[in-house]
Amino acid sequence: MHAVVILVVALLVALGAAPVFAQDTEALRKELEQLKRQQEQYQRAIDALSQRLQRLESQPAPVTTAPPSGPTGPSPANPQSQMAPPSATDLLRPRQPFALYQQRGSGQLLFDMGVTGDFVGNITQHNVQKSGTGTFAGRENRFFPREVELSLFGQIDPYARADVRIEAGEEEPGAATGVSLAEATITLLTLPYGTQAKLGQMRNRFGWSNVIHEHDLPWVDRPDVYRMFLGEEGLAEKGVEASWVPDFLPFYVQVLGGIFNGDNETAFGHGRLTSPLVTGRVMTFFDLTDTMALQVGASVANGETPERLRSTLVGYDIKFKYRPDGWLHPLLTLASEGIYSIRRTERGVDVNGDGIFDTFQKQTRNSFGWYGWTELQPWRRWAFGARYDSTQYSASPGYQWAVEPYVSFYPSEFLRFRLAYKHTDRTQRDVLDLNGNGGSGRIMDEWLFQATFILGAHPAHAF
Amino acid sequence: MIRRISALVVVAVMVAAAMSPPAAQAARKLRVVTTIPDLKSLAEAVGGDLVDVDSLTRGTQNFHEAEVKPSMMLKLRRADAVIENGLDLDAWADVAIEGSNNQNIMRGGPGRIEISRGVEVLEVPTTRVDRSMGDVHPRGNPHFSLDPGLAPIITQNIVDGLARLAPEHRAAFEQNRKDFLAKLDSHMVEWNKAMEPVKGSKVVVYHPDFIYFLTRFGLVQAATLEDRPGIPASPQHLVNVIRQMKEEKIKVILVEPWNDVKLANRVAEEAGAKAFVMATAVGAVKGADNYIAAIDYNITTLSKALR
Ligand SMILES: [Zn+2]
Repeated sequence: MHAVVILVVALLVALGAAPVFAQDTEALRKELEQLKRQQEQYQRAIDALSQRLQRLESQPAPVTTAPPSGPTGPSPANPQSQMAPPSATDLLRPRQPFALYQQRGSGQLLFDMGVTGDFVGNITQHNVQKSGTGTFAGRENRFFPREVELSLFGQIDPYARADVRIEAGEEEPGAATGVSLAEATITLLTLPYGTQAKLGQMRNRFGWSNVIHEHDLPWVDRPDVYRMFLGEEGLAEKGVEASWVPDFLPFYVQVLGGIFNGDNETAFGHGRLTSPLVTGRVMTFFDLTDTMALQVGASVANGETPERLRSTLVGYDIKFKYRPDGWLHPLLTLASEGIYSIRRTERGVDVNGDGIFDTFQKQTRNSFGWYGWTELQPWRRWAFGARYDSTQYSASPGYQWAVEPYVSFYPSEFLRFRLAYKHTDRTQRDVLDLNGNGGSGRIMDEWLFQATFILGAHPAHAF
Repeated sequence: MIRRISALVVVAVMVAAAMSPPAAQAARKLRVVTTIPDLKSLAEAVGGDLVDVDSLTRGTQNFHEAEVKPSMMLKLRRADAVIENGLDLDAWADVAIEGSNNQNIMRGGPGRIEISRGVEVLEVPTTRVDRSMGDVHPRGNPHFSLDPGLAPIITQNIVDGLARLAPEHRAAFEQNRKDFLAKLDSHMVEWNKAMEPVKGSKVVVYHPDFIYFLTRFGLVQAATLEDRPGIPASPQHLVNVIRQMKEEKIKVILVEPWNDVKLANRVAEEAGAKAFVMATAVGAVKGADNYIAAIDYNITTLSKALR
């Protein structure tokens, strides 16, 4: 049965790609012939060169440019020009796999590389540290590298690009830093009808902020609603995501659909394609004026929790930017995202009062969380902002709210320092004492500090 | 679950089927999108009424840091061709192009036209560069589009690109190009005449946006106001520039409309000179609304300022 589904999907992909290849068959055949001819020429050139090398080597070392003796075989007039790097038109034509690789000169990287470093520190009350429920859970009152990331990206060939990010960061207090694969994707760019497919391990495009890496966020920490519903790092999954941009609408719309294992620690942990995490998103965008723009999106994710209970998230996102004419940065940014969680939960019921659960009752638990954010950047190097968070808990009763004003300072485009103060208030019912040592995270006051650098190439972000 | 996936697949098939294949392209105009307005003007000159051209940016913008907006992706979604400057000036366009999901214009696609091919690039770093020098242009100075002497190369690249998509119109593109270059040549005579008396004059620029233009007309870029690109100039550097301007009797500072015009004015005042906002691109200032008009504006401004 699974095989059938896979077969159908494969067929679909093949069908989609077929017209493209059909058009190219003739061109490809010609290309192939040309390549064959080229290769023969190269072979001759190489033969000639190696003959010459042999001759030179067999001679005593100090020679004053000995005239070429005898015929050097049917070598082309100028072997050098035969070995010239491919011209721009050569590059535009589709090629045999790895033909480019064989042709290129040594030392030139054919992809981009960058390193980003993101260091954070936080200072908070002792009872929060004891309870282990701070914004950087388990790492309260510490300074540490949260995410030092090596990113490699570029075109694989004319049809696809690859993005790989390897990151290291502190996950628990101590000298050790773990290294992990943060992202690795192939994006098929030349599918027909305005579609693209991305497969591999990726940050999901759910809402507008989830896809953004920690160091690129406009805040020190991810919004509470994402942290509560999807864990500290948000939603990052392994699977396939397809996008479609229709060409018949007068405004930009992007439609996304994805199928993933479901490896999220909080909302979707079933982890098997037999009951996958299925996601969808519609995003649209309006230029209100030349200087003002609005982006609006809706997202959905549906899967199973580790306990095989259904879990659905529905989200909205909206973002407004005002960038005065000729400015290099926006003056005002406003945004909000919210998630509604519908989740089956299981609750133990003690029928006969012996203190042991006799049956489990399933129930549906609905919860909601959101944030509102505003940022003012009157000068290029300084930005001031604040975020208000309010979120219920997805699997248990209670809620929390927080307010977080901050200031960002950019000595240059590639270096940023940020200082934030975050006040969090949790409901009495949910006084967290994870460590069972009397700590409490009911009220938290935190100073958050962040320093971020970018070295080398960094892919630009849209809006 | 299997049923759910099957349903999804069926929906996908239906959606794919509902979208008709791209319409026959014979009758309609080529839809061309350029990254900067200079190239729009040139593409219109070459394409004539066979093309519809739109630009992703406006002349008043700083092309180094254009913000990628989905409205750019909308323009690109239906484009047959995208014309880019290259040399990393408009590298941001890659993000917009990928977001357009348009297979014609992906890197390596037939509709991707880069106009820097064949241009002799100035200010290519000959030593190791890194970002301690600011936001340098590692592949050389990319601000060449408003050098009239390079118009033949640029328009040839555009002709080649457009003819790749519509081979049946190559002759028409070639003819348009010839007509345009003839017109440009007649202006060139005037421009050379206007610049002749001020040849060899020194000017100070804010960002090295004008090096091709200045070199073309025999002017000398004596200094830049920005110490290192993208990083605010240090007061010490400005003091040095002012001293140099006084010593060498430099009377003119050229500034981009998107740059810190106030700072340029202040430095000019200190040095007993004047700052001029230049047409760094088509549409950057009033009256510079096409390629020839923009160059004309710069020639008029400079020849008056330096006299
Ligand atoms: Zn520049």
